[in-house]
Formats: sequence, structure tokens, C-alpha cells
Amino acid sequence: MMSAHDQNPASHTERNDESTTHFGFQTVDKHEKESKVANVFHSVAQQYDIMNDLMSFGIHRLWKRFTIDASGVRPGNKVLDLAGGTGDLTAKFSQLVGREGKVILADINSSMLNVGRDKLRDKGLVQNIEYVQANAQYLPFEDNTFDVITIAFGLRNVTDKDMALRSMYRVLKPGGRLLVLEFSKPEHELVNKAYDFYSFNILPKMGEIVAKDGDSYQYLAESIRMHPDQETLKSMMEQAGFEQTSFKNLTGGVVALHKGYKF
Amino acid sequence: MQKVLGEPLLFAQALSAALETLINQLLRYNMQGTRALRPLSGKTLTVQLTELNMPLSFTISHEKVHVTSSDEHYHCCIRTSVSTLLAFNKNQQLTDLIKNDQLDIQGDLKVAQRFAEIAQTLDIDWQSEIAKRIGDMPTYQLGRVGRSLREKINFARTQIQADASEWLVHEQRLLVTAGELAYFSRDVEQVTAKLHALQQRLDALNK
Repeated sequence: MMSAHDQNPASHTERNDESTTHFGFQTVDKHEKESKVANVFHSVAQQYDIMNDLMSFGIHRLWKRFTIDASGVRPGNKVLDLAGGTGDLTAKFSQLVGREGKVILADINSSMLNVGRDKLRDKGLVQNIEYVQANAQYLPFEDNTFDVITIAFGLRNVTDKDMALRSMYRVLKPGGRLLVLEFSKPEHELVNKAYDFYSFNILPKMGEIVAKDGDSYQYLAESIRMHPDQETLKSMMEQAGFEQTSFKNLTGGVVALHKGYKF
Repeated sequence: MQKVLGEPLLFAQALSAALETLINQLLRYNMQGTRALRPLSGKTLTVQLTELNMPLSFTISHEKVHVTSSDEHYHCCIRTSVSTLLAFNKNQQLTDLIKNDQLDIQGDLKVAQRFAEIAQTLDIDWQSEIAKRIGDMPTYQLGRVGRSLREKINFARTQIQADASEWLVHEQRLLVTAGELAYFSRDVEQVTAKLHALQQRLDALNK
């Protein structure tokens, strides 16, 4: 079984060759990745929530709750939920920041944004949420705008992660914090092997049966392996300017929450 | 338990999610609705129970209670144990609890009292809620069975208490009856009085 962390950490690929990047295990031109990732998410948008529950056995809800707890969000805060997809984090943030606060749900993919918007409106959450179709590398906001920025299960799909982190740093207020919730490298080898088997054998089949799209879930498994491990991502955040960076492994390192501040 | 899910804090998230669902469900059934929450909108009460070793914060927003496991921001924070918390609303005990280091309160006490008031004034018509789901007749039957069961349990409890008391006092002679205790106390009082009188006489003779 291929283990990308051992072979080819993503950040190194990006730094070694300026014109190419990875799309799962494939090496593609940078400008090509965006449209390929877009196709994946256009395809899975409608079944995204149900697949999340199935794939993670519902644990993704606890990972997201952990992120909310770590955000320290309070009434009146301005929050950017980047790659917010179907709006799980936005729904909670919207209620916690209250009428005086604001949450921006941003995603590069219009299909995901539409699903998120419909879901949140159905829940009656309309007062303090704005929807923005935006590329994480070129955030269309003024400097020092947000108290909290979260990006949950989105950073690994971004073409140039370093550029995206710099962009997030720019729009974060001094004193604000960035939270990156993302799949990572399991701490124990046994878990790693079981996780590899699950990701490459069961996950694509599950995608084929439920979402009628095995290829997209094959990409999901590959993209997770190509994502930088905990320490690499932490140093990438530091290079982007974030301070007091730290990470917490969740579920044995299958997922990690990285935190960094702008001062 | 905390390590089962891999990392220490997911237990806190599971607990806060369960509590949040339970509390909001109870509020939905409340006859008074969620009106009582309005004055507390935007307020956060944090509770740190010694038994749990993690904070639980209750924030009111959109007429719902949101439970998080974070103590970064609150209007009132209570650090105590479960048993102390149950006696919290009795104002006369508050000072004693604080003096005895059983309770530590930071922030606006009124926020905590308002939360306690809401909990106490919950008024849920369980029969009506159950009837909505299983129908009137089964609810009536269920209620009858429940009442009869409660009466039987109460009767059994009283009976067991009486039997245990009988066994301890009369059969095992481990405890004394109320009459025996009163008789013994009277004897003690008489001896004390006699001793006091004797002491006075001795004092008079010594002068």
C-alpha cells in the first residue's frame, strides 16, 4: 500500500517544482488542479453530509465540536468559515456570535456553497451569515477583518497551501486565531495500516454505492495521504507568520487540529 | 474513557453534544416555551465540576442553549462539585459554601441564579407529550401502570424500612427504641443535676 507521507510530502512537492502540484497521487499542472478538485466537489455536493457521517461513523461531528470549542468564539465576533462546504461549522458559529456578530461561509465550489446555503436557510439561520464564493489563495477581504478563521477538511484541496495560509494571515485581525482541521498522519503504525486499508479499499466502494462516484472518494483517500503531516503543517503556518502555533491529534492522529495566532 | 476516542478531549465534546440535545429537547416540551431564555440571550454560564475535570459552558442564543467545553469566555463561572451544585439555589447557604471553599464563583452571580430559575420552573406535561407519540389510550394505560408501580415501590420501601428497623432494634438489639433513648437521656439529666448540686455543696463547705 502506498503511503504518501513516507514518499512525498506535499509541501516539498510544491516547493520543489513551482509549476506542478499533486491531485491525489497524480502530478498535475497547478492550474489544472483547481478544475479537477472543482469537478470532484460538484459531483459529491448533494451526498456530502451523508457520506461524511458514513465515512467517519459520525465522529466528524465531534471533531467539528472540538474546533468550535478551541475557537474561543464569543458574541460579536466576525468569523470566516473557509472551505465551509455544507456549513456545519457556520451553523454553530452563527448561533454563538449572535446578532452583533457575523459569519462568512466561503467556498470555492458553487455547488457546495448552494447546498450549504439551502441547509442553513432550512434551519432558520439567515440573520448573520453571508455567503462568498472565494479561492483561499486570494481571499477577497480587507486586511485584519476576522477574529477567527477556520478551514475544516479544505486545506488539502488547495493548490498552493502556503499562499492560502499567507492570505488567511492577512485577513485575520491581530489577536485573532486560525484553526485548521484536517486529516493527518495516524500516530501508531497499526492504526496507519488499518486506516490505509479502510481508505483505499472500503471508502471508494462506499462512495460508489452511496454517492455513485467511486473516483471522487479514491481522490479523497489519495489527497489525505498527500497532505502534509502534523509537524510540516505547523511549520508551514509559522512560515506564513502565525505565532504560538500548536496542534492536537484527534482519534489517534487520523485528524489534527492546528491552531495559530496573529499578533 | 477519555483515551478510548484517541485523544483526551473528544469525551468532552460527546458529553456537551448529548447535554445540548437533552436540554433543548426539554425546553421544547416546556409549557412556558423558551421565553424564559430571552433575558439571558448572549450570556454564558461556565460550570467546572470537580468530578468532571473539564469545563462546560452554557450559552443562550437564538432561544436555544449551546453547550461547549471551553472556559475562555463567560459571564459567570462556578467551580464546585455535583453535590454542592444541587444546593446552589438556596441563598442562605451560599456564603457558607464559599467560606468552606466548596464553591468558587467568578463574574455575575445573577446569571447563575437566572439559569437556576429556568431549570426550576421547567413545566413539562409528560402525559401529553407521550400521547402525541403513542396515542391517548396507551398513554392512559401506561400512566395507570406507572402509578400502580410507584405505589407498590413506595409501599415496599416503607415495609423494608419498618422490617429493618424491627430487626435491628428488637431482634439483634443493635439499636435502642425511642422510649429507651428518652429514658436514658432522663437518667443522664438527673445524674448531671445531682452532680451539680453536690458540687455546689462542696463549694459551700470549702468556704
